[in-house]
Amino acid sequence: MGTMLKLDKVTKIYPGTDFRAVDELSFELEEGEICILVGPSGCGKTTAMKMINRLHSITSGKIYIDGQDVSSMDTIQLRRRIGYVIQNVGLFPNMTIAENISVIPNLLKWDKRKINERVHSLLEIVNLSAEEYKDRYPRELSGGQQQRIGVARGMAGDPPIMLMDEPFGAIDPTNRDHLQNEFLKIQEKVKKTIVFVTHDIDEAIKMGDKICLLRDGKLIQFASPEEMLTYPKNDFVRDFVGGDRTIKRLNLFSISKVKRDDPPLIKASAGLEEARGTLSEYGTDYLVVVDENGRLAGLAANEDLQGKGETVADVVQRTNAYLDGTASLKEALSEIFTHDTGFLIVVDGDNKVSGWLDTNDIKKALKD
Amino acid sequence: MTSKVFTGLVRKGLPAIITVAVIIFLYKTYGAWEYTVENLPEFFRLTFEHLLLVLITMCFSISIGVTLGTVMTREGWEKISPVIMAVVNVWQSIPSLGVIALAYGLLPFIGLSGIGMVPSLIAIFMFSVAPVVRNTYAGIESVSSDIKEAAIGMGMTKQQILFRIELPNALPIIMGGIRTSTALVVGTAPLAFLIGGGGLGFWIFTGIALVDMGIMTAGAVPVALIAMLFDFLLEIGEKMIVSRGVQADEAQLAAL
Repeated sequence: MGTMLKLDKVTKIYPGTDFRAVDELSFELEEGEICILVGPSGCGKTTAMKMINRLHSITSGKIYIDGQDVSSMDTIQLRRRIGYVIQNVGLFPNMTIAENISVIPNLLKWDKRKINERVHSLLEIVNLSAEEYKDRYPRELSGGQQQRIGVARGMAGDPPIMLMDEPFGAIDPTNRDHLQNEFLKIQEKVKKTIVFVTHDIDEAIKMGDKICLLRDGKLIQFASPEEMLTYPKNDFVRDFVGGDRTIKRLNLFSISKVKRDDPPLIKASAGLEEARGTLSEYGTDYLVVVDENGRLAGLAANEDLQGKGETVADVVQRTNAYLDGTASLKEALSEIFTHDTGFLIVVDGDNKVSGWLDTNDIKKALKD
Repeated sequence: MTSKVFTGLVRKGLPAIITVAVIIFLYKTYGAWEYTVENLPEFFRLTFEHLLLVLITMCFSISIGVTLGTVMTREGWEKISPVIMAVVNVWQSIPSLGVIALAYGLLPFIGLSGIGMVPSLIAIFMFSVAPVVRNTYAGIESVSSDIKEAAIGMGMTKQQILFRIELPNALPIIMGGIRTSTALVVGTAPLAFLIGGGGLGFWIFTGIALVDMGIMTAGAVPVALIAMLFDFLLEIGEKMIVSRGVQADEAQLAAL
């Protein structure tokens, strides 16, 4: 993994002004990293991004892609090597989905078969059925689907670098969250080096490997989300990431990293007598009831165990106090407070109980 | 589905049936049919001249109009575009008869005869080019800046952006201009007769001069039919060359 993108004292002064829209911005990105340019409006984040594919000229300083100085390259060739995704998608309405995706491969003069294969594999990556969608037109797709095609189009030429200008900015919050998750999944598969502009610090924290926080064209802090939340460099950063930065850090942990592996388990087939014993052993309010295969069946409280019946299966109560191990600590915390169980059951993809956690575990994770 | 087919038939079929009924009525009442049959060779000659006038002017209107409209949107031409637009608008705002008269009066000064087919073509062209210029300009301008930014950012050249993005997306609007322009051309073409340009105007004006409704109808009805024919052909042409992704959809068409 080498350095894919390097900005070296990049400065932008618009002609006729002496205002530095971007002021000696320097940072480096490793291959496969997502770097989020974030900051208040007018901080120069979009300008900085657009200098990379030279939609804006560079006043001074150098930008290197894979060691090559962009100002020494032909702009048209440069742009064809950089994936570009914009806020309002900008799919070409006169072209079908397949034609939209193949624009850059066509410009790069790939042969027909290769382009066709590329279209199919990209549609698969963005989770849209090729058969169903490739011959449709953009207006026949929902906003979220269009945005996915926009991402696919940006990746079509297999560019080493992608630039994304608030790609999810125009999408409603529910769908945005969904698309962000999907995009992260896509990124796991394709591992592109991405420069991503947003004004939304939550999006930055969620999406970024590195966050580049700008103000008035100057770099304030360049760090991983975790570092920025834990060690904000100054008051501006502290304000910008928000007073709830501890809560935001919860987003960065997944449950499976924090959970304990010894939940108070009882088999559904166990007798009530045995269950009462187990409960007092653990000292919890509830027992987690599982079936023969270790799948979650429900909960059993002390009162339940005093009731009529022979086995735990007769007295088990259903529960929603569980989450998948991939969920974030923030969701976990919310679930813990929603249910009066006092702890959260962690399950895997097959609904098998894999652990548990409570608020103390979360506190510990934040302290470490 | 059945009701859709039905409304489609009503929308397309009914006007056609009414038109045919009106034509038969006119031909029967005023004896236009007899006149046409008696003068069949002349009818064909006049129709041919008329079609020629319309087709040639349309070719010029479309090629010059689209070119002018496109040029107006190019970088560096912004200052000239209001001038172009003003000129073609003035041409259109002069009553068609006036343009014909002007052609007759002015062309001799630039060394051209004021009489015949050529001055008629020039006059009709001047009168009809404005909608094409205007719609081409408006169509290209209306292509959203997001789409253009995406195209530039993806590394398309200016030419590629014009021919692959801007013109195809402006096409529905440009076609609208072409159809308006065609209607103007077909409507103005009979006036060509007044400066010796030939065409079906000959029968219309003869009929008026002789107060003979038969002769007039024999000229006027084919003119109307030619107008409808061209509109129909353009509609089909539009379906063929405009991408389905930017065509007005069924619901919009039904609302028209």
